[in-house]
Amino acid sequence: MAKATVKAILVYLIYFLLVPMLAPLFELIPGLMESIEVFVIVYIMLMILGDLTAKTVFQYFFSTARALFFMAYLLLSMGDGMFNTSYENFSLTVNLTLFYTVAVLLSLLGFARTILQAINFMSERAEANSGLQL
Amino acid sequence: MNVPIRALGIATSIFWVLLMAFMVLAAFSVKDLNFDFGEPQFTPAPDGQLTFSLPLYVDNRGYYSLKEFHLSTVFSDEEGEEISRANTYIPVIPHGENTTIVHNVTLSTASLFENGEHYLFNDNNLNVSVTAGLNFAELLPVEISTNFTFPWGAPFYNFALGAPSYGRSSSTHDEVTVPMSFENHAFFDLIGNIRIELYDGAGSLLDETQTLVDVPQGSSYDGSVAFNVPLETASLSTARTGHFEVYFNTGLLEYGPLVIPYG
Repeated sequence: MAKATVKAILVYLIYFLLVPMLAPLFELIPGLMESIEVFVIVYIMLMILGDLTAKTVFQYFFSTARALFFMAYLLLSMGDGMFNTSYENFSLTVNLTLFYTVAVLLSLLGFARTILQAINFMSERAEANSGLQL
Repeated sequence: MNVPIRALGIATSIFWVLLMAFMVLAAFSVKDLNFDFGEPQFTPAPDGQLTFSLPLYVDNRGYYSLKEFHLSTVFSDEEGEEISRANTYIPVIPHGENTTIVHNVTLSTASLFENGEHYLFNDNNLNVSVTAGLNFAELLPVEISTNFTFPWGAPFYNFALGAPSYGRSSSTHDEVTVPMSFENHAFFDLIGNIRIELYDGAGSLLDETQTLVDVPQGSSYDGSVAFNVPLETASLSTARTGHFEVYFNTGLLEYGPLVIPYG
């Protein structure tokens, strides 16, 4: 429980420190702030649930759900990787494809890690059960 | 299996930290990037070309160099027909340096005036479409575009020939004096020649004259032109109607005839 709280506080602190840096973007993109808030809430909840169910197979369910949620959030928010916004008569286009690609690849690695952890957990438990039976 | 999983976790974390650090530095770099436009300059060339030069000052105090900077402008008329297109390309704007870029747009007056006398005698607006792009931090291509109207001042705005006045110049000729006025609203000085032909109501050429004009930008011209019409020309004294045909010839433009009836 303490570990979950500390991790949640840490993630929130990072969010708290990063938000002022992104302030100019929030003025340009309406709804970005709310979107990031929802993301941080869901991410912290899944993290806490994962920590609360530590040492059970549910921990890996929640870790996998967190990795999947992260990927889905990235994919849904990125669209085609082109960020477009307009201000008065100006139109700004930023090609974020490369950044998103790297982020999705890294989150895929995270997803693979949680699957491996789940397999490892199940195999260790099966080994322990077979050892007990012997 | 625990060791590979842990190694995978550490590697993923390191890459995430690097990616985030890059994005944060990129965001800070944008803050330290300054673009400023200088005073635009217009330079008329004798071959009928107008060069519009726009200095752009880029102060890149960010952490990254800006690559593949490009700026393109397209001038078009009210109907959307393209008049001029110009591109400027700078391969690298190094970080920590102040770079001056001069964007030159060449406007051909011949192509402008071939669409009619509209741009010669009436102030107008040209549509300008500007697109600027660069590769920020070598990874993030950014493009900004805008449209605006550019005021075009007519070089012969409100050109008018007044009512002719008649007087005897000699025993064989009448002198016809015609007031001429216009305003130079263009962004260049107007130095050239105006040739006027005087026709009577039957379409016969009575006389022609030409005058040199030197009208700085933003100022008006008020003058007169005189014709010597032979006394035996009956049409002028009887009908006193007809038309002028006006031909304009400056270093930048050549246009005519502009037909103006009188009487």
